[in-house]
Amino acid sequence: MIPFQVELESALRSFTQVAALMRTNWGWPIAESIHFVGLTLLFGSIAAWDLRLVGMAKHVPIAAFHRLIPFAILGFMINAGSGSFFLMTEPDQYVYNPAFQLKMLCVVLAGINVGLFYLTMFRRVNRLGPGVQGPVLARLNGLVSLALWITVIICGRMITFYRPARCRPGQVIGFIADCIVR
Amino acid sequence: MFDPLFRWLESSAFSVWMRESDSLFAFPGILAAHTIGLGLLAGLSGAFALRLLGVAKGIPPEAFRRFVPLMWIGLWMNLLTGIALLIGYPTKALTNPVFYLKLGLIAIGLVILRAIFRRTGSAQGEMGITKVLAAALLIAWIATITAGRLLAYTYTRLSVDSLPR
Repeated sequence: MIPFQVELESALRSFTQVAALMRTNWGWPIAESIHFVGLTLLFGSIAAWDLRLVGMAKHVPIAAFHRLIPFAILGFMINAGSGSFFLMTEPDQYVYNPAFQLKMLCVVLAGINVGLFYLTMFRRVNRLGPGVQGPVLARLNGLVSLALWITVIICGRMITFYRPARCRPGQVIGFIADCIVR
Repeated sequence: MFDPLFRWLESSAFSVWMRESDSLFAFPGILAAHTIGLGLLAGLSGAFALRLLGVAKGIPPEAFRRFVPLMWIGLWMNLLTGIALLIGYPTKALTNPVFYLKLGLIAIGLVILRAIFRRTGSAQGEMGITKVLAAALLIAWIATITAGRLLAYTYTRLSVDSLPR
């Protein structure tokens, strides 16, 4: 894990033009604002969808709510893009940050959760008419998704409070100890 | 001029706890809750606005009324956590014009959202105006979020006795 982190950090550090852009006066604040708009778009559309799966607004067929999913994907892409800009600018502040690691784990788990949904029950659930409660597994899937995205938001906010000591690029020996132990 | 007020607020036990506590439930937790409230209020009402603008036509607009309680939860969460954050750093917020801009934008967003719900409640509403309101709501929320983020970068005084940046 540790060698991988060091490699990842130096790979991220090679995007010097992005970092230069982000270090301009307004670069970082604008990227942050975009990241939060993306968060709202992603969370709002995925929450509406998940809540329908869980059992709210049952009189509307699940298929209707599924039309919101492209906006969740758009929000996700906005945030993957803006988020990667933060990483390319200050890689050591993320790669060795436990809050960031947990955040990424939850994003992956949310991806697996949604993948399972499409593989195992999407066709069946999407055909259900109005007023029909989805199967228990679909309700559970929605609940898990909600919990994971809320955790992603919390972990994202925690990143600032778990910042590792600043690492100097190129300093490989003794660098892990410096960065991880504050 | 308001320095005595800021000093009084900053010396209160709650303010000190907000700034200095190592607990994750102090500043970090309250900030995280503020972001979740944002997701509930602006996120769900934003999805509603997108529906009014023509996305996901299969959903009857009235269906979003089911989410109104969650929007209220988001609003109350953010009112309370916002007040807590303000008590933690009163000088930082209240000496920054962007903070008042944010409050104004929230008020505009809420007024628009209420107008939209009134129109979708009565069938007489003209769709063209509703669409304009929905677009205005999205703009208001995006502007609110941007102003909120910029608070971290545009303040001039962190606390009452700290030197201006």
